[in-house]
Amino acid sequence: MTIRILLVDDHPIVRQGLKTLLEGRSGWEVIGEASDGAEALEKAKELSPDVMVLDVTMPRMNGLEACRVLRKRAPQLEILFVTQHDSPQMMREALEAGARGYVVKSNAARDLLEAVEAVSQHRVFTALNGRDTAGAR
Amino acid sequence: MNWGVNMKLRILLADDHEIVRRGLRALLEKHEGWEVCGEAADGRGAVEKTLQLKPDVVILDIGMPLLNGLDTTRQLLQHDPNFKIIVLTITDSDQVIREALDAGARGFVLKSDAARDLVSAVEALQNKRMFFTPRVNDLVLAGFLEKGHSLSRNETPKLPTLTAREREITQLLAEGNSSKEVASLLNLSTKTVETHRSNIMRKLSFHSIRDLVVYAIKNNLIQIELPPPKAPTGPTGPTAA
Repeated sequence: MTIRILLVDDHPIVRQGLKTLLEGRSGWEVIGEASDGAEALEKAKELSPDVMVLDVTMPRMNGLEACRVLRKRAPQLEILFVTQHDSPQMMREALEAGARGYVVKSNAARDLLEAVEAVSQHRVFTALNGRDTAGAR
Repeated sequence: MNWGVNMKLRILLADDHEIVRRGLRALLEKHEGWEVCGEAADGRGAVEKTLQLKPDVVILDIGMPLLNGLDTTRQLLQHDPNFKIIVLTITDSDQVIREALDAGARGFVLKSDAARDLVSAVEALQNKRMFFTPRVNDLVLAGFLEKGHSLSRNETPKLPTLTAREREITQLLAEGNSSKEVASLLNLSTKTVETHRSNIMRKLSFHSIRDLVVYAIKNNLIQIELPPPKAPTGPTGPTAA
């Protein structure tokens, strides 16, 4: 299955790590990268990805704000948060903003592929550190 | 050591985020003649693997669990002062830079700039030079080099110095481990840990574990993650990886 992914994180080294992981999966392609929410909006418009992997805390515009805007502008785009915030409150806020998935950065190597696969099929995937909140639903 | 034509430069990576290690590895292994010979997810693992693998360069995140990057640096250099260590941080505060220099790191790279600076840092150490992110305040560096590791006169006096073992135990307690758990992690008896704990509290004039946690945060033994501002709009600052 082909999945076109846009990566959004303010740390290039994290994007590199995520990209290495995602592109290990046959047919999955990282079609673009952005380093803040505002750039994510521009790239989403330009590239029309299937899935956006989005950080929460970023300069200029944070991921939650970007997610709320994208939910209205690009309802077909599935958004997966990959964040350092291992917090049920933040997870709830992300889902309320319109995301379909939530993965904690420290577990990204374990959860990311499964999460991208789930959200690309319009299923919810949420997992906090050591507490599988819902799994793929 | 001289790196010959066929000799690879061996690098050990330590960071608690696997995704960051993957990114660092991908970056470093693009460089011909370099290989990542090992990885660790915390400071204690980094000490163990470094002593076992004897890498040419060690790259340590500062904010690692069990043993932070600065104390890992100190422990490694006690074993062998020739280890070449680069510290990765999320902050370029003067205090952290001074501590990294005091600990004996030869390279200091901001995590946010790692994609740009890390290769230069490894090259510098390979050529027996030091590397500090361009954001390091020249005055801090000059002050350090002139004073030979001593603190400036204007600096706030430090709290009583803890021993390496006491710092290690302080970090583990501040991370939420009980004395029994600390004892198990360090292969010590609970009674020995309790004695260290009493000494730490006495030296620092602390009466609660809360005081100890605040001390550990202020002195970069542990790092905390802050949520983004609540406001629905407006810019936010740069953040941790």
